Amino acid sequence: MKKSLLSFAAATTLALGSLTLAAPSAPVLAQAAAAVSPLDLVAPVAEYKIYVTKATQQFVKDTKAFTDAVKAGDVEKAKALFAPTRVSYEQIEPIAELFSDLDAAIDSRADDHEKAEADPGFTGFHRIEYGLWEKNSTAELGPFADKLLADVEELHKRIAGLTFPPEKVVGGAAVLMEEVAATKISGEEDRYSHTDLWDFQGNFDGSRKIFDLFRPLLPKDDGEFVKKVEGNFNRVDVILAKYKEGNGFQSYEKLTDADRNVLAGAVNTLAEDLSTLRGKLGLD
Amino acid sequence: MVPVDAGAPRAVRRLRIAGLNKVIFIMASPQDNAGREKAAPPSSRLARLAVAGAVVLVIAGGAVFYLASRKTPQPAPDDAITVTITGKTCDPNELTVPAGRRTFRIVNNSDRTVEWEILDGVMVVEERENIAPGFSSTLTARLDTGTFQITCGLLSNPRGTLTVTPSADAGNAARPALTAFIGPLAEYRVYLALESGALTSATADLAAAVRDGDLARARALYVPARALYRHIEPAAQRFVDLDAAISARADYLEKREADPAFTGFHRLEYGLFAQGDLAGLTPVAERLLADVTTLEERLGALQLPPERMADGARTLLTRWAGSIASEGEERYSGTDIDSLAATLAGAGKVIGLLQPLVAKADPALATETQAKLDAAVARIDGLRGPQGYARLGDVGREDRAAIAASLQALADATGKLNASIGLE
Repeated sequence: MKKSLLSFAAATTLALGSLTLAAPSAPVLAQAAAAVSPLDLVAPVAEYKIYVTKATQQFVKDTKAFTDAVKAGDVEKAKALFAPTRVSYEQIEPIAELFSDLDAAIDSRADDHEKAEADPGFTGFHRIEYGLWEKNSTAELGPFADKLLADVEELHKRIAGLTFPPEKVVGGAAVLMEEVAATKISGEEDRYSHTDLWDFQGNFDGSRKIFDLFRPLLPKDDGEFVKKVEGNFNRVDVILAKYKEGNGFQSYEKLTDADRNVLAGAVNTLAEDLSTLRGKLGLD
Repeated sequence: MVPVDAGAPRAVRRLRIAGLNKVIFIMASPQDNAGREKAAPPSSRLARLAVAGAVVLVIAGGAVFYLASRKTPQPAPDDAITVTITGKTCDPNELTVPAGRRTFRIVNNSDRTVEWEILDGVMVVEERENIAPGFSSTLTARLDTGTFQITCGLLSNPRGTLTVTPSADAGNAARPALTAFIGPLAEYRVYLALESGALTSATADLAAAVRDGDLARARALYVPARALYRHIEPAAQRFVDLDAAISARADYLEKREADPAFTGFHRLEYGLFAQGDLAGLTPVAERLLADVTTLEERLGALQLPPERMADGARTLLTRWAGSIASEGEERYSGTDIDSLAATLAGAGKVIGLLQPLVAKADPALATETQAKLDAAVARIDGLRGPQGYARLGDVGREDRAAIAASLQALADATGKLNASIGLE
């Protein structure tokens, strides 16, 4: 689900509260940057909708195969399909999580519910993940599989009819990184399967897509910003590449502390930097 | 939403991960007015000490300082509305605020990390996530008049109500900022891309049937291809060269059907339905395919000014209102009602995209436009039988007059949309 909040932001804004004298130029810079015509944003927002639509179609297709495996009682196949199926959802999360009811039904974690794993409201991917890994069984998962597929199909329908709010699209680049910072780094998202690195990759792809779509609209003199963001995206790529295995990733438990720290640093900086995109594009 | 590591607040935990242990203590300072603050700050003297400590630490930590200088804190304004989340509810649980930009201060007095959301139906208007126990966070939202729900902690907890009343400083109510058109224009751009792509592919099928000498198949494929052009015509008619080549009627040409400039859909229609002969139509079909392919490319690059959406729809509706009672627009095939239904679908797309803006600026006009659209569509639907839409020749004079009147009424309402949303 959605969980954001930048550890860094919390620390730095806080530090700033005491440092306004030391860093007085920030608001001036923010104002000077907003020189983009709103109509220039139409094309990238439309491109993004097409990207999300394709990812959603893939998500429906993959979810069908995943839930079919669950219903057929094929634990191994279901386990193999769990992580790759989620990747599309993680890519489009800035839009998908706009539908709060579906986001809760599809992607809430046990903690979001009063009785945790035993709560009847605990449904979706993580409920099935719990059954597959903790109980190594598909017993009792059939109804959850049916509901998940129905919810994903409903999501597809709603996204097709949604006029994308531009500020949510542009803001999504940072939201995805906050998502990683808040839940992926700690490994709490996919706690039963430890497939967090797959989600990671989805979040990064989704964030980078937004950045790439809007980058041409950034002021010409913002090259340092672009360079820094791209540098951090590349840093993440290098780390993730080390853990690639077949078409996917090794268990999150294999991630070394050193790599985790590099990732955390890059993610936090990306979240912080990308949170300025909206302002730079005149959407605050 | 809720940390696994319940022992430490989430933010602090992540700081540790990021290797910034030094800053952890600053976390608890009340000076974090940009987002997070401690709900119950220590004494101001203590706070000042913490601040002094923060300055030293931050200046010592160059990286932190660098990042810090990139973020501007916005103090929570004095008129921020405080909402306290306790175990099961929000306090207050019923809020009423005037429309416009409003700031909320959310205090988490529960023992779990929570998020706070403003919901419009199932859609999230604004949200603040991961507010750790004992912390507070601020959220600023631009609120329109209406009734919203607010979430309070766990998903299963009962939701509160946020009522937003009309206010003078809502600002953009009558005249939306240009940014308000980005969403509808982007959505329209996607629609044009999909429909023009489908047009190219349907025209390729039609051209193949013509080339194959299959008259029956070519006749059957004419109607759906033509409908796709109608869908995008409010935008496509801007390209006068292509519009003439694709869709000009013989009346507009000096030698009418015999004119060498008579090309496109109507030239094909003439051959397929009036002459019943495919002779000489292959080059016409190939040319049409080339033209709709060019159209697809041009629409892909078109930056449509927002006022062109309603303008384009109104122009077409007015034209139909004038022609449907007389000679129609598909005179060789008699498939006018099919074609008109497609025009209404294309106009309906435009109207639907503008409606959320119109509904805010002039609710009565939004209701009127929707009613006129529904009435026109209903009238056309009434002409649909098991074999599809009636041929225009089979539609009586009175029915045609009634269709014309419903189209004119819709055109008139559509013609008022731009003024209502500040585009004239």
